[in-house]
Amino acid sequence: MISRSIEEFIKAQPGKEYYVKLAEELAKLNKELNAFNNINGSLSSGYPLSVKDNICVKGMETTASSKVLSGYIPPFNATAVERLSAKGFGVIGKTNMDEFGFGSFGLNSESPARNPFDKSRVAGGSSSGAAIATSIIENHVALAESTGGSIAAPASFCGVVGFTPTYGVVSRYGLIDYGNSLDKIGVMGRSAARVRYTFDIIKGRDRYDATCVDLPAGSERKQASKKLFVIRNLLEHVDESIKKSFEKTLSKLSGMGFEIEEGELKELDSAIAVYYIIAMAEASTNLAKYTGFKYGGKVDDFSKEYNEFFTEAREKFGKEAKRRVVLGTYIRSASVRDKYYYKALQIRRLIGEKISELARKGSIILPTMPMLPPKIEDAGKMNPLQAYMVDILTVPANLTGLPHVSFPADYIDGLPVGAQIIGAPYEDYAILDLVGKWEEDFSYKFAYNLGSL
Amino acid sequence: MDYKEFERLLKVCRIRLSENETEEMKKEIDEILAYFDKIDNIKCEEDPAYQPIDLPEQLREDVTEQFNDIDAILANTKTYRFYVVGPKI
Repeated sequence: MISRSIEEFIKAQPGKEYYVKLAEELAKLNKELNAFNNINGSLSSGYPLSVKDNICVKGMETTASSKVLSGYIPPFNATAVERLSAKGFGVIGKTNMDEFGFGSFGLNSESPARNPFDKSRVAGGSSSGAAIATSIIENHVALAESTGGSIAAPASFCGVVGFTPTYGVVSRYGLIDYGNSLDKIGVMGRSAARVRYTFDIIKGRDRYDATCVDLPAGSERKQASKKLFVIRNLLEHVDESIKKSFEKTLSKLSGMGFEIEEGELKELDSAIAVYYIIAMAEASTNLAKYTGFKYGGKVDDFSKEYNEFFTEAREKFGKEAKRRVVLGTYIRSASVRDKYYYKALQIRRLIGEKISELARKGSIILPTMPMLPPKIEDAGKMNPLQAYMVDILTVPANLTGLPHVSFPADYIDGLPVGAQIIGAPYEDYAILDLVGKWEEDFSYKFAYNLGSL
Repeated sequence: MDYKEFERLLKVCRIRLSENETEEMKKEIDEILAYFDKIDNIKCEEDPAYQPIDLPEQLREDVTEQFNDIDAILANTKTYRFYVVGPKI
């Protein structure tokens, strides 16, 4: 029903032509959706939906932005896509991302993403295309996915609402796994209400995912916590300009009647190391399934001996994917497994207990990213460890499966600055409620408003 | 990790790199591992958290389901008659 050529536009580098073509496509799409909604008796039943390229859509090429999967056409829908389609959401295309979700800037793919507010800057990753689409298309929501901050980071850099639910509340069936104990499918939109509307449809138990659960009864009525904690020791890693802007956000919130309190969680100082150890260990096993003959990209010469064939298939991985396979494989090797992997899992429990304890007393508020979106060339110059450190504020909630939502809280020199609210497990609606309240007195800005109805 | 050990690791991973790429990646990985080593100093006797949140056990009976779109699955592979073609084992 819906043209899929938008995929190509979103993957392309935005130039003037790009927006013109996209606007034409969207006009067509809106007509189709209106027709669909009229037939189904409701004008507001669904939104045009973009889907991150690691979530399967039946009949649409799904590659997780990896060459190893190029040409892979899923014969089924991910549960989240299936549920939204049934409610009248029309898939407009797949969105660009860092290969398999490996990146925080949107640069680890064939077409590096650019920020709609300033094309010389990064859009953030790994759900870069999802954030760009949300930032430029007026009537639209995006299905995105986060492992260590892949929804919050680009949402913050592109100035949209990016919501990552509690681990397990949205089915992962049909998601191309990165780290199974960390991956969460979530939603981006231009308002908390749109995100909530979409989340209502995708959440809840799924017989195809044994780790997927229902929210406790009555969760939908949960209101925002009046108490907000700032984790002071995490702010040590934040740029001065962001800190200043964050102080402004806090005083605005306290003017709205929220009680701000400071806390300290020293355990979080090891969160980046713990997160990357677990994520790489899991990623290195998940990537083993790309053998060069089952999904997507094929090795040409089938007469090759298996190990040689497999090695050749893996040459299609990008640099960061190769690095994570090597590190993850090492971390899981018998001689160091206890030192890295097992220890990281133990510390994850410790961190989870501490942060949940705080989140049960009141939600946690932090800046989403420690910096403004960097220039593409500056981000490209960072070494891997420096790039991993950028996740310092998004990793705590992701590592421990807590729901969190990033929302535009300020603008510095025309660039959006995001803040995030982290809730206790299953407090998904409470944190969305808070962002809804924030929006009553704060208007978001968008670089483009394409395809308005 | 010494160079030989790193080369062995690459072989186990079935990742082939040029000499320069090997040099570069080894350096990056040494740096990342040195950073990971900081968790050594943390005293922690907790049970490992394989899941971020303790989830209820949800078992179900195995039920056979019919998936009829065989062509769509096979379309992703190279086929010979009704078989999927793979490398020699």
